[in-house]
Amino acid sequence: MIMTFGSAEGALEAMGREWMVEMIHFMQQLDEDLKKSGELVSAEGLADGSQAKTVRLQNGIPVATDGPFAEAKESLVGYWIVDVESEARAIEIASRIVAYVKAPIEVRRVMDAPPEV
Amino acid sequence: MRRHGQFDACEDAVQEALLAAATQWPENGVPDNPRSWLMTVANRRLVDEWRSESARRRREENAAIMELPAKPQASADDDSLTLLFLCCHPALSTPSQLALTLRAVGGLTTAEIAHAFLVPESTMAQRISRAKERIRSTGARFELPPEADRAGRLLVVMHVLYLIFNEGYMTSSGPVLHRADLTAEAIRLTRMVHRLIPSDGEAAGLLALMLLTDARRTARTTADGSIVPLAEQQRSLWNAAQIEEGVALLTRTLGTAPVGPYQMQAAIAAVHDEAPSADETDWPQILALYEVLERVSPGPVVTLNRAVAVAMVNGPRAGLALLGTLDSDERMAHNHRLEAVRGHLLELAGDPLGARHAYLRAARMTASLPEQRHLTLRAARLTEDGPEASVETGGG
Repeated sequence: MIMTFGSAEGALEAMGREWMVEMIHFMQQLDEDLKKSGELVSAEGLADGSQAKTVRLQNGIPVATDGPFAEAKESLVGYWIVDVESEARAIEIASRIVAYVKAPIEVRRVMDAPPEV
Repeated sequence: MRRHGQFDACEDAVQEALLAAATQWPENGVPDNPRSWLMTVANRRLVDEWRSESARRRREENAAIMELPAKPQASADDDSLTLLFLCCHPALSTPSQLALTLRAVGGLTTAEIAHAFLVPESTMAQRISRAKERIRSTGARFELPPEADRAGRLLVVMHVLYLIFNEGYMTSSGPVLHRADLTAEAIRLTRMVHRLIPSDGEAAGLLALMLLTDARRTARTTADGSIVPLAEQQRSLWNAAQIEEGVALLTRTLGTAPVGPYQMQAAIAAVHDEAPSADETDWPQILALYEVLERVSPGPVVTLNRAVAVAMVNGPRAGLALLGTLDSDERMAHNHRLEAVRGHLLELAGDPLGARHAYLRAARMTASLPEQRHLTLRAARLTEDGPEASVETGGG
């Protein structure tokens, strides 16, 4: 899984309009490329963190509060799940993304290995 | 609307609204060459004596046509309609009604339906088989609903078809064929209903609305999937044949049956579709039609759309004032559209900073990625040295 964090608004504030336009085109191109290469399993954008709810136990009772779990700028906002030959390839894809997004991208394996017991 | 007690009250409300609109419309500016849907509806109403015996008899005839007398042999048409009623059985949840309709009456495979609603195929297969089981458990048989229920059940059928159409039309991110399949299926099934129950004004209205809306589909997105609002659309890309068909259908229908929300929405779509350019849009007529729609089918979304028309006729501040009345409406509390429209009107009113904040609030609230990008970009336009020269009117 390749993950992006933050918010569209935060990004816009930091980077400005032209960057946003380029970034949208890049994302669409990336989706196309990954589909063509057969590496794309799924990709989703998440709704803004302000629309999230976080459910916690308070005194043993589940309570839902508004807002994401993590700080807004560190909150998950989108992901790709890719089926790739190696971790290096996943990092290569993430490197393309970080060049545009300019914020840290996390790459993490989905647990897909068969048990070897 | 077909239960006799409510029917009279509804007709009174429509009558009042039409009288009011028919008086105001000329004051707000009669276009040079008006095609007046408003006058079509108003004139036939004012001329018809709805309280007279002949009118009462006509209503009873219309109700009788809905009874669909039993034929010695069931025809394929009867079967399709029966099936449609069954798929839209009130015991089912709305998603189940949609899925079952598309599977049993529409021509889609389970895989296609799953794809259209973005769920795994096995999930959709389960949803459909559970829906069938649910219908079986109600004891419903393969026959039309009882006469007393039929009009109400027809409204449910039309609502399901409307939702299918919207599902296909609203998702416009690039050339996704299965989505276009949904609008085509919705139109095909609505054609069938109209053909089988030609006296039903709302079925005709719904078909006209779908045709007049679908006509704009190609112009609604760019090649890369960005949204193009109505006022900016290249009208040469609109499907003229569909517009012609929708207009003809509406012409035949308006005034021959009780006015309902689908007919009114179709009339509004017709006014938009007939304008050669955004600037030539007959906004006073649209405003008057919304006023009638609000009587026939009141609700916050209608008010929201009316606010845009108010702004175009009476200035953005008047439109914003109307939006203000929606601020305390619970139903709009988590709806990004209120903020999106507010942003648009603030932009028209010359308040770029206020507009930017409203667009960003809307962007935060939407669950549609193309829409979020569109709203964020609109906000972005307003931060650099003031707003850009081109301003938009209306929504697509």
